[in-house]
Amino acid sequence: MKKNAVSSGHRALTLRILRSSPTEGVAPHWQDFHLEEAEGMTLFIALNEVRETLDPALQFDFVCRAGICGSCGMLINGKPGLACRSLTRDLDPLITLAPLPVFELIGDLSVNTGKWMRGTAERLETWVHSSQEADLTALEAPMEPELAEAIYELDRCIECGCCVAGCGTLRMREEFVGAIGLNKIARFRLDPRDERSDDDFYQLIGDDTGVFGCMSLLACQDVCPKGLPLQTQIAFLRRKMVASGL
Amino acid sequence: MDSSFDSSGIARPLAPVRPLPEAAARSAQAVQVRTRKSRWPARLDLLQSASGLFLALFLVGHMFFVSSILISKEAFYAVARFFEGAYFLAEPRPWLVSGVVGVVLTVFVAHAWLAMRKFPANFRQYKVFAEHKAQLRHGDTGLWWIQLWTGFALFFLGTVHLYGMLTQPELIGPYESADRIWTGNMWPLYLLLLFAVEIHGSIGLYRLALKWGWLEGRDPAATRRRLRAAKTAFSVFFLGLGLASLLAYVQLGIAHADKAGERYVPQRASAVKLGELEFALSRRPGG
Amino acid sequence: MRIIYTDVLVVGGGLAGLRAAVGARRRGHDVIILSLVPPKRSHSAAAQGGMQASLGNTVKGEGDNEDVHFEDTVRGSDWGCDQDVARLFVHTAPQAVRELAAWGVPWNRIKAGDREVIMDGKRVTLTEGQAAHGLIAARDFGGTKKWRTCYVSDGTGHAMLYAVSDQAVAESIPVHERMEALALIHEGGRCHGAVVRNLVSGELTAYVAKATCIATGGFGRIYRVTSNAVINEGIGAAIALETGAACLGNMEAVQFHPTTIFPAGILVTEGCRGDGGLLKDAAGHRFMPDYEPEKKELASRDVVSRRMEEHIRAGHGVKSRFGEHLWLDITLLGAAHIDGKLREVKEICQHFLGIDPSRDLIPVRPAQHYSMGGIRTDARGHARGLKGLFACGEAACWDLHGFNRLGGNSVAETVVAGMIVGENMADFVESAAGELQVSTALVRECLDAEQAKLDTLLHGNGTESGAELMRRMQDIMTDKVGIFRTGELLHSAVEELQGLLVRSRRIGLRTRRPGANPELVTAYRVQKMLKLALCVAYGALQRTESRGAHFREDYPRRDDASWLKRTLATWHDDFQTLPTLDYEALDVTAMELPPGWRGYGARNAIEHPATAGRAAEISAIRSAFGHADRFTVQQALMPFDHLIPSRFRGRNARLGETS
Ligand SMILES: Cc1cc2nc3c(=O)[nH]c(=O)nc-3n(C[C@H](O)[C@H](O)[C@H](O)COP(=O)(O)OP(=O)(O)OC[C@H]3O[C@@H](n4cnc5c(N)ncnc54)[C@H](O)[C@@H]3O)c2cc1C
Ligand code: HEM
Repeated sequence: MKKNAVSSGHRALTLRILRSSPTEGVAPHWQDFHLEEAEGMTLFIALNEVRETLDPALQFDFVCRAGICGSCGMLINGKPGLACRSLTRDLDPLITLAPLPVFELIGDLSVNTGKWMRGTAERLETWVHSSQEADLTALEAPMEPELAEAIYELDRCIECGCCVAGCGTLRMREEFVGAIGLNKIARFRLDPRDERSDDDFYQLIGDDTGVFGCMSLLACQDVCPKGLPLQTQIAFLRRKMVASGL
Repeated sequence: MDSSFDSSGIARPLAPVRPLPEAAARSAQAVQVRTRKSRWPARLDLLQSASGLFLALFLVGHMFFVSSILISKEAFYAVARFFEGAYFLAEPRPWLVSGVVGVVLTVFVAHAWLAMRKFPANFRQYKVFAEHKAQLRHGDTGLWWIQLWTGFALFFLGTVHLYGMLTQPELIGPYESADRIWTGNMWPLYLLLLFAVEIHGSIGLYRLALKWGWLEGRDPAATRRRLRAAKTAFSVFFLGLGLASLLAYVQLGIAHADKAGERYVPQRASAVKLGELEFALSRRPGG
Repeated sequence: MRIIYTDVLVVGGGLAGLRAAVGARRRGHDVIILSLVPPKRSHSAAAQGGMQASLGNTVKGEGDNEDVHFEDTVRGSDWGCDQDVARLFVHTAPQAVRELAAWGVPWNRIKAGDREVIMDGKRVTLTEGQAAHGLIAARDFGGTKKWRTCYVSDGTGHAMLYAVSDQAVAESIPVHERMEALALIHEGGRCHGAVVRNLVSGELTAYVAKATCIATGGFGRIYRVTSNAVINEGIGAAIALETGAACLGNMEAVQFHPTTIFPAGILVTEGCRGDGGLLKDAAGHRFMPDYEPEKKELASRDVVSRRMEEHIRAGHGVKSRFGEHLWLDITLLGAAHIDGKLREVKEICQHFLGIDPSRDLIPVRPAQHYSMGGIRTDARGHARGLKGLFACGEAACWDLHGFNRLGGNSVAETVVAGMIVGENMADFVESAAGELQVSTALVRECLDAEQAKLDTLLHGNGTESGAELMRRMQDIMTDKVGIFRTGELLHSAVEELQGLLVRSRRIGLRTRRPGANPELVTAYRVQKMLKLALCVAYGALQRTESRGAHFREDYPRRDDASWLKRTLATWHDDFQTLPTLDYEALDVTAMELPPGWRGYGARNAIEHPATAGRAAEISAIRSAFGHADRFTVQQALMPFDHLIPSRFRGRNARLGETS
């Protein structure tokens, strides 16, 4: 039905965007922009067209525009997702766009995910903790190929913030680390180069702002653009952390 | 409210904070000396699940026992007496039932207390969640909201029911129960309780499986779909069973309304079947 | 007047900037990083295919070492690179990979035993040795003799960037995000930091530093069709150019990547072809062997891109409503391989094309991809003409890549250059030359000057539209300064760009708010980008030869006799409409590998008069050393040890190589 509409002609699209400008004291309000759909149009293309032809002040963030960098997370019809890879043909002609909640609002669709993510990195110490410095000229320490792949599986997070925005728990209690934080811990826990023990990880996430705060609503899993196995990783961590905490 | 417990400092071994020597402090990323975190959050999380699981399992058993009324009055009568220990004690002792109810009530209160930590702590949290849910239109997020409200309802419904059973254990029987439900006007409460507890319990079990990663298998997404189906089946089955049982009590209650208060005495024929228990049964207290 | 003082200011939070910052920080200096975006969003994250380093772990990499990597790199560059730098690079690259491994990058690892791969369209079984089990694996990439490209599925850049960024967090290095360097503070040939604009509040701050490092990545966005991120606008290179003191090297050397999806221009990695993917035309014919019988799909990028465009011109393109394209076929690799090793490619195909690459062909066409040119530095990363200014990564013309960079050499360059520049900046800061001597009057002057420019845009009465100029510039660059260049096209490009530059001085804005204002950003950036575009177009016009990615149809031969030299562009005053071009000759007599045939592509170079002499000299040295080990011979040919920072000296261990 929708597909036909596209190939036969061009739909008229309405982008209903939640505008705001905290620095200038402009409170959030909806504004509609009308444009014609084009073949293969993504929200990246549509928003740039709005900016170029209708409102040069419209704020939004894109970087790679290929679904890799995680800059363009926003609420698309209420659901967190990456705008750059959302094809308009998959959406109804009225598209509502709003900035991700939780993160500090910069203006219009732009939010400060970077600050939040840096905070998470510092709080959870998301780097390999190792007591020795590697000898760079020596052969690298071997690692099982399957293990390397399993680590990469968890390393694919692009910090777009979709899981954060999708998490009801986090929205109620902003001190909760969220799926992204727990996934990072799972990633470093899996990595043999990180010398931290479960007790160390318990220090970081062993309370209700950490893994025990998760209420298993699983929107994180369902909105993650990278399809990370968040559900199973959080469950796994919960078992490990209970074992270490008992 | 939610984290008041861990901040209360119970059983928190306060490790002395020793300053690290300058050099070590700079390089030692891994070994930082911190106050050791309380173990209680882990325990409470486990207890929350364990109490929920216990209650859910109890509920399953409870529903089957209660539904024995659908077989016959005698069957329910026998089950009721069984729990009074009639089959292995010299005589039935209703305080045994009180004991069981007491345990359930304790777990119930404990569970409610633990789960309350997850309730929105203030109006802001409440509003944020409600808006979030409306905006996201996400299945499992919606389920939690249902769980929250059914849990809240259970505070009252469950407590009234359990208190009744605790204080009048001897008044469990085909006529006794039917009279309470119809003549005693308990049926509206039971109807609500039935819906609340079945829905709450089934969602709870579903959540338990996801939360702890039970039955994940090779394809967790498929498992999750199956679990969801199982959850719905669980709700439907037990709601059906519960409604049928409740209806049976109501019918019995209507039929027995003019003789309300009269206790049930099993017919000879069935008592014969029960063989040597006959004697014991005839000596039930107040009978 | 807001001034922030630091020892080292790193402009750019991509791989290069982050690694340089970590290096200087570990030497005990205060470092601040500036970035337009959160560092993990830098375009380094988009690198998919991999990073070259001669570990030689895999069977197909057996016998690989620094020498082989060096030769591949020099040939790839079409002899345009700085051979000292290439040596320094190939020496340090294995250490970079191993350091990253220690920092947590989950490099794909070798599994001992048999494994099926696709090579040249056929199934082949490779057997990996027991000793290599668990060591870092490598895949094939274009223009290399050995399988040398280390990879993490097809998310290599992502994994690297996250690991290095997390190290920066571990070192507590502050990253000031959404900050844009607008100008360098400099006087008398010494750089003192930068004037920086807060992209949210619009406020200007002066960052005053003993050493400043520009690591702002490439400038692909001067083109319309590019694989680059939207932030790759080259402002870092432009502000160096605007000093009038520093210069940009080889700006005309622009790489076009053969396989970006059509028409969006989003890249699918060279790993697709490295792993066995084929290029096909409208008739389903695999055409690359017709043009390049030896390396086929895996000739260097400039060659493959050119052959593809040539094939389209010959009428074999697939016609579509957006124009013509060719096919990339990776169906033969199988779903399992694609799901495991080419996941990003799969996601991109799904989301942007709605196809499944394990069943469908991918529509591709070359697009602008990489800027070999950039801020000209010496082998230590110190900018030419401006003391205290360093540059590394894609923003620099350190000159590892000459006129064409090999796939996988770029992310490797970012980290290697970061390691080296980090050390060299620390040395500089610790030296007498590194002492801060800057007057607040100068700082105020620079701040005021930048503020005045912004005010002119915001409150002036200009009428031109920045967005319009930007679009026009991008069209010109794509249409006239592309893969095939001619004097005529370039000439008209230069003329039009000059016109745009003049118009860009009269941009007017509709939105006059000083803070977050995308229109203002476009306006001041396009002014700078036009200068870069002119450096590219004018440099290309002047260079009357073909070398690497710079291909002149009117001068199809590589001309070593007159063009074995690097273009240096400077921009002395704001009223110039063309850069001043100078040339820096490459010294054939000092080369370890004198110019010759690359092993692929055309074989028609005009020889440099000194080439034969140097070649003879080299063979004499080689025979004089007889059975000496390769290090000794290399040392005699072109010593470079003095360029290696002390902590990275020492020989790289390899399986089966005793040293
Ligand atoms: C799609 C794609 C795939 C690629 N794949 C590969 C590959 O497989 N192998 C390979 O070797 N190479 C690959 N490359 C090339 C390689 O990724 C880049 O050359 C390299 O990552 C550049 O790194 P960088 O650190 O120099 O710059 P970037 O990663 O681009 O970082 C630039 C930084 O500078 C900041 N910045 C820019 N301007 C300013 C300013 N004015 N003020 C303050 N900050 C500023 C930005 O915010 C950013 O943090 C690929 C490139 C692309 C586009
Ligand atoms: C006063 C009564 C009750 C209240 C207030 C209550 C409340 C809650 C709440 C809010 C949750 C969600 C907790 C979370 O999201 O982490 C929950 C979970 C659960 N409840 Fe209840 N509940 C009550 C009674 C019951 C009863 C009678 C049963 C038995 C059927 C039950 C079974 C469960 C189960 C199995 C869970 C899942 C446990 C877990 O997530 O760890 N609850 N309850």
